[in-house]
Amino acid sequence: MSSTPKKLHIPVEHTKLANGLRVVASPDRSAPVVTVGVYYQIGFRLEPRGRSGFAHLFEHMMFQGSENAPKMEHIRLINSSGGLLNGTTNYDLTNYFESVPSNALERVLWLEADRMRALKVDDENLRNQRDVVKEEVRVNVMNQPYGGFPWLDLPPVAFRNWPNAHNFYGDFADLDAATLADVQTFFRTFYSPNNAVLVMLGDLDPAEAFKMARRYFENIPAAPPPPRADVNEPAQESERHGEVEEKLGPLPAIAIGYTMPRRESADWYAAGVVERVLHGGRAGRVFRKLVLEDQIAVDADGSADLLETNGPTQMVSRIFHKPEFTSEGTVAMYDEIIEELQRKGVQPDELEPVKVKLRSDFYSMLEGGMGSYMPRFGLMHYLACFTLFDGDPDRVNTILNGFLDVTPEQSQEFAQKYLVPKNRAVLFRRPTAQPQAVAGGSR
Amino acid sequence: MSSPTQQAQPARATSVPALAPERPVVWPKRTVRTLANGLQVVLAESRAFPKITAQLYFRGGNAITALSNPGLAEMTSAVVRTGTTSRTSRQIEEDLRRIGAGLGTHAGADSSAISASGLAEFSSELLELIADLARNATFPQEEFDREQRQRYEELKIERTTPGFLASERIRRVLFGAHPYAIVGPTPEQVEAYRREQLVEFYRRYYVPTDSLLIVVGDFSAAAMLDQVEKIFGGWSAPKPEAMKSESPKPHFGRHVYLVDRPGTVQTQVLAGNLALTRRDPDWYRAVLANSIYGGAFHSRLVMNIREQKGYTYSPRSSLNALREYGYFTVSAAVRNDVAAATLTEIFYEMDRMRSLPVSAEELESARNYLTGVFSLGVATQDGLLGQLSVVYLDRLPEDYLETYRQRIHALTAEDVVTAARRHLDSANSQIVMVGDRAQIGEQAALFGQVTAFDAQGNVIH
Repeated sequence: MSSTPKKLHIPVEHTKLANGLRVVASPDRSAPVVTVGVYYQIGFRLEPRGRSGFAHLFEHMMFQGSENAPKMEHIRLINSSGGLLNGTTNYDLTNYFESVPSNALERVLWLEADRMRALKVDDENLRNQRDVVKEEVRVNVMNQPYGGFPWLDLPPVAFRNWPNAHNFYGDFADLDAATLADVQTFFRTFYSPNNAVLVMLGDLDPAEAFKMARRYFENIPAAPPPPRADVNEPAQESERHGEVEEKLGPLPAIAIGYTMPRRESADWYAAGVVERVLHGGRAGRVFRKLVLEDQIAVDADGSADLLETNGPTQMVSRIFHKPEFTSEGTVAMYDEIIEELQRKGVQPDELEPVKVKLRSDFYSMLEGGMGSYMPRFGLMHYLACFTLFDGDPDRVNTILNGFLDVTPEQSQEFAQKYLVPKNRAVLFRRPTAQPQAVAGGSR
Repeated sequence: MSSPTQQAQPARATSVPALAPERPVVWPKRTVRTLANGLQVVLAESRAFPKITAQLYFRGGNAITALSNPGLAEMTSAVVRTGTTSRTSRQIEEDLRRIGAGLGTHAGADSSAISASGLAEFSSELLELIADLARNATFPQEEFDREQRQRYEELKIERTTPGFLASERIRRVLFGAHPYAIVGPTPEQVEAYRREQLVEFYRRYYVPTDSLLIVVGDFSAAAMLDQVEKIFGGWSAPKPEAMKSESPKPHFGRHVYLVDRPGTVQTQVLAGNLALTRRDPDWYRAVLANSIYGGAFHSRLVMNIREQKGYTYSPRSSLNALREYGYFTVSAAVRNDVAAATLTEIFYEMDRMRSLPVSAEELESARNYLTGVFSLGVATQDGLLGQLSVVYLDRLPEDYLETYRQRIHALTAEDVVTAARRHLDSANSQIVMVGDRAQIGEQAALFGQVTAFDAQGNVIH
């Protein structure tokens, strides 16, 4: 028999420094480890036109040297303190994070403050990281089967506004055109304390951590609020289609993306639940029908980045199907799943278990989230997103309720309103040498 | 752009703050019991999140049938989750979702595992489900047929991945007649599997004797032990026979194995040699040498071929410890015109490790890195379970976690040179290059005699 559910409460304290830097702390003394993240509200969606891939290239430059920590010093100091570090570039934010034994907290703050204050890089560093980024693109995209599928393939098909629709990893010509002056301008424009949040979690006392944060960050000058690109999409009139050649992998792949409701709207919560009805492994409707029942597909799943985006975003289903079926026929079978949702919504016998799984997955995400090596990565990530996008890190303790309150009626309404052809894009990734397909996706 | 008031604030700190005094890492107390049926149970509390994580390991993996029927353990694990005497495939998946759990079944070279995690409030349901799969799987014919076809298609994709092709080749080269030489089946071998072969593998190896159940999470160990005894206690089966196999032979001199993929924009380089297992007395010093060489972001190799030369995004070296033997590898995906230059630096850095002592500062940095990162494992259920599985699967000393730190800190510069000379075997390194032979063939020949293969593993001339 099951015991009673335990309600999880995450302690969250936050403050704002005089220069506008928001600071969030969440203590957890169960292990002598701290995780620290600095999140800047600039992602590849907001990078300058004609400089595709710049936000990500710039992220690399943040490891190339700051005022008092020359090249490799940042990495050496974190590693030699017993810690790990990394950075990632996302749609609407770029993050830099470290997990270290808790005695290194002050050192981490010093390092992060040093590179928020002043970047000290030269042409040689830029040339070096341009080469590194090109090899990153080759290893992850050009020399991998299904590389960039669908995260690079789908946006240019789904969206019309450049910030949402360009190549986020960057065209090599644009990477080559980037100059050191671009780097410093980008830094001055977007990497200011008033455009960032500092998150500190784990083995710390919030009052002391805030004191340390003030000591190192508060005298970094604020900058004028950065310009924000207009990321709105023009209204979509009909279904959009695109094709990309798959040069390595043998199977045809399909991505189907539906543009999602605005953040924090009632439909947005319904979207979060319906997405988990469709996806989420082998019990999800898409896998069950296409892989287990109809056996058209070899793999099928999907996701929606609802919590970590702040602009147009899609729920995406990804399907790898057997070569003897056509991609068009496979989409027709997928559409049967969507039509059933529109006809009946999600009934309680399915809705309730999906919510249990959603709660469990949320806890797992908070605890780890980036493999097991970066403790509380997910918690750090959500605290930062809720601060930057919603102005309230404490949402981490209430956000779940909005999803758990979704009713069968709301699920049906959402499906009827959003899971429609004029709100979606369909992308086929077709293998270069594809064997002859039999007609239709019929059983 | 800054305002004058902010510039008037006190001068900032320009030197690195010292580390504060350390808080000791306290590994959670383990409850370790061997049940009457031979199942070893390891429990550890980790109560920050209301979840549990469990893994049930069987000491029979892909190596057992690698020479006769490769990948059988992997295929068996895939079909295990598709039906039991009381649940259909669909019921299993729906039961998992109802209790908020995720499940994985997989097999490595040395073991097969059923792993799951979910909400602590449903811990008994979760453990019952694991036990059901371990004891009562029925391998329905139609589920087997479907999984077989899926596996066949997955393998065809796998064979287009440079990293897979490189690791497949290095294992063949290093392990020769030993089962570790075979990392997986061909698509044709998968097509030839029969359901009865899976049933037989399951009957022999999914047994409690000599197996290991680790549960980590939000529970009291005493209550959890009762639960585990109730759920797993009534299960019994004979102990499987141990695997007997030929020892891999050492290599003398370098040799290049080139896997030709015409037209590719990058070359995957992988070099390696036989090394050691975790039970070897040299293990700790080898770990330290690997970390300084190419096992960490601030290591020599990353500094050299990424941060100075920009040849690659992803260089790394690792010690791969399997149960009977281990091997050392170093890899990088590089642009085609610097494939040879990359190998030159790879061996230069190895030779430097073997010739010169590391500085006191570098030694101290690397020791701190290893002990700090090792301790991060204590902070999550997955991390803790991962560390415990190393200790109990490899039958390391009970105090492995607690003494790791002091063992690493006791190592000297001389230990590093000793380990590098033994285990970073530059002169006898076996080299794999996956890329376009037309572009890299001449570069390959600089490092030794070249044998070329196509992506399906056939020798080409």
